[in-house]
Amino acid sequence: MKKAIEINNLTKTYKGKKGAQVQALKGLALEIMPGEEFGFLGPNGAGKSTTIKTLMGLIRPTAGDALILEERISSNSARRHVGYLPENPAFYDYLTAEEYLTFVARAFDVPSNLLRERVCESLRIMELWDARKRPMRGYSKGMVQRVGLAQTLIHDPDVYILDEPMSGLDPIGRALVKEIILDLKKRGKSVFFSTHITDDVEKVCDRVGVIVRGKLEALDSVENIVRKGIEGYIVQTRLGLGRHEALSGFEIRGTNETFAEYFVPAAAFNQFMSLAGHNSVEVTLVETKRKDLEAFFLEIVEKGEAR
Amino acid sequence: MGGVKRHITLLVCICALYAAIILPFTRSMRSKPFAEKLGALPTVATLKFLSADQRLFVGSSLVMKVIIYFGGLTERAKNRIIIPPDYPAMSRTIHTAVKLDPYNSDAYYFAQAFLTWDARQFAIANDLLREGMKYRTWDWQLPFFIGFNYGYFLKDYRNAAHYYKKAAELSGQELYASLAGRYLQEAGQTDQAIAYLEIMAKGARNPVAKRSFFIRLTAFKRAKLVEDARDAFRKRKGRLPSSVAELVDGGFLAMAPVDPYGGEFFIAPDGSVGTTSKFAFKGSGGQSRDKGGAQQ
Amino acid sequence: MLNQVGITLKSILRDRVFHGIIFSALIFLAIPSVASLSMRQMTELSITLSLSLLSFILLLLALFLGGTHLWKDIERRYTYSVLSLPISRTTYLIGKFLGIAFFILVVACLLGLVAAGVIQFSAGIYPPERPIAWENIAAAVVFDALKYILVVATAFLFSSVGTSFFLPIFGTICIFFVGSASQQVYDYITAPATADIPLFTKKAAMVVYYLLPNYSAFDYKVNAAYGVPLDGSGLLLTLGYFVIYLLAVVVLAALLFEKREMN
Repeated sequence: MKKAIEINNLTKTYKGKKGAQVQALKGLALEIMPGEEFGFLGPNGAGKSTTIKTLMGLIRPTAGDALILEERISSNSARRHVGYLPENPAFYDYLTAEEYLTFVARAFDVPSNLLRERVCESLRIMELWDARKRPMRGYSKGMVQRVGLAQTLIHDPDVYILDEPMSGLDPIGRALVKEIILDLKKRGKSVFFSTHITDDVEKVCDRVGVIVRGKLEALDSVENIVRKGIEGYIVQTRLGLGRHEALSGFEIRGTNETFAEYFVPAAAFNQFMSLAGHNSVEVTLVETKRKDLEAFFLEIVEKGEAR
Repeated sequence: MGGVKRHITLLVCICALYAAIILPFTRSMRSKPFAEKLGALPTVATLKFLSADQRLFVGSSLVMKVIIYFGGLTERAKNRIIIPPDYPAMSRTIHTAVKLDPYNSDAYYFAQAFLTWDARQFAIANDLLREGMKYRTWDWQLPFFIGFNYGYFLKDYRNAAHYYKKAAELSGQELYASLAGRYLQEAGQTDQAIAYLEIMAKGARNPVAKRSFFIRLTAFKRAKLVEDARDAFRKRKGRLPSSVAELVDGGFLAMAPVDPYGGEFFIAPDGSVGTTSKFAFKGSGGQSRDKGGAQQ
Repeated sequence: MLNQVGITLKSILRDRVFHGIIFSALIFLAIPSVASLSMRQMTELSITLSLSLLSFILLLLALFLGGTHLWKDIERRYTYSVLSLPISRTTYLIGKFLGIAFFILVVACLLGLVAAGVIQFSAGIYPPERPIAWENIAAAVVFDALKYILVVATAFLFSSVGTSFFLPIFGTICIFFVGSASQQVYDYITAPATADIPLFTKKAAMVVYYLLPNYSAFDYKVNAAYGVPLDGSGLLLTLGYFVIYLLAVVVLAALLFEKREMN
């Protein structure tokens, strides 16, 4: 199987004011596997959009190269099998959604016998069917975003590159986007999307990369991050039954008339459970206490920016 | 990037094609007659409307057009390529220009320069200048031109004196008043022309106008040479010479002077000195009674 | 490419500024009454006025469409969504250009028909001394359209590098004025033995003349108004000049646009 995206030593230097050089990307290297959902995290101005625009041929790299499905990004055909959603997209607002999607489908050489069907299908998926005959200048922000998503779906590509797909959407819109990404995952498509909202990543991604100041500071699977982040457990026991004194070595987080809550470090969990069993203490609830992705993200960003 | 390289190659090929066509194209453009270059002029009323608040600009660009056109022709004439100037078109354009901007001194100045000797439209020139006097009330040159036209060309010495006096009043210089006096006698014609041209040439800042004055001045100075020789001849021999050649043979002239307008100097039976060119390049419509300038 | 041309045409037709400009074509109706102000050449005057108005409307269209079309796509960030499609930037640029050029040609032909009606009407009231040279009028209209297509091309060239609409609009206007006058200046400068014009000035003027488009070559209004016969080889040369110059400008614009960063 072809790698979905392959980024090698991608570097972009802008000429700033008074001849100063601004390094937007510093030797970025990354590979996205087929069928993988990849979350590209980073604070504002870290180089997420620069990376994506370079992949889409909107910006020329200063050094390095990238391939999409083994086609160099400098060739137009690299974009043939990609669905791209720009950040805060804007489309020809004098066109209706239907006209615009037809234009896009033609640009992707969707066969004419399938064209009409594809346009209608993506309009329906994105819940734009009723608005399809209206010019887009009257659309709300969320509707425009959905047109953008419809545009990525229309030629049924294998790779999706989405720049901040959830930004500016209401909760219902976000849910829709997540659902679509999960659906793509089910169908074995690769999705590369940038965001600065960690919550989105956790729910849909296989792997995340964190970019800070143009450098990739972390790259790991969501599963690993979650596992490594476990600090311990919150264990709830029912009072009045068993010998609670045996557990006095553990920190009590709180009590009321019926329950007590202990904080148990991960390493001591087995010991706690066996002690509880031996002393007839009834465990009513176990909750994982862990650093969330957000904390992980903030930690990396702080480290990256301190450098 | 292959695309960019292909573009550059294509561009180089097109530039080669451009180089191939530009010379014949330029040649073809140069040979277009004046009227075509000037373009058709809408009526004054329309032009006034169209030029909106840019009347002065449109007016002066029209005058510039005529000056540039005429300048090109005199340049060629110097190299003995005589292309008849289209005086009616020039006159039409100048008239339109002063309607748009009646204060444009270039227009009057230049109209005086070519409408007189070249186009021989003295009445039109004087009408135009009189019109200008209504606006440029401070300008002594306009009455000075009118006075000269009356005196030199139309032999109307009463009017000439009247306008010279006006010029003298406006300029505060006695010279013009004394010119008026001298105009009353025909004998000093060439002197007057030289005096007039010297004033004109001195005031000319535009190289085209300046050069055209100098050419004319040279012609008159050479005529003056012939006149002086003629006077010397008469003094010595007690009769008029019959030709310039006779003056040369008698040693009164080192050689026959050359008329820069391509004509030949001659001595009329009454003794006055003239030239076959009438001190002007041959022009189309110059001798015919064209009213082009007067119609609107 | 055709896809791009179609979208461009749609965008022009749905633009309000375009509606305004076309509205100004109503002035054509006033021409016969204005032309009657002329004492002796009503038909000639109405030809001149019709062609001038046509030319003016085309100039506005060329400036407005050529100068703002590309810029607006960049300004409103449409380029992100369009240029990320699998079409090359050259296709995009040339598609847009062809759309506008085609539109200018169609508008010129339509307005030419309107002008013909106006001229016919004027001639019906005051029959002209000489028959109207319809083929000259047609040539004047077509060459006018070609001229403004060239104007659009220069506007595209400026748009391909400019970041605001100032450069395309004002650059194009400047080129238009200089290009319309360059022939006269050239004639003056190249007249032999112009001693007091410095050589440097002359050379500079020559370079400008050869570099800039020669718009005065496309002006056949005199031939149309006064029935001055057209010079066939001159027309052909002008046509050849148009094609070559246009190609050069468009290819250069495409080259610059290819290299441009879409930030």
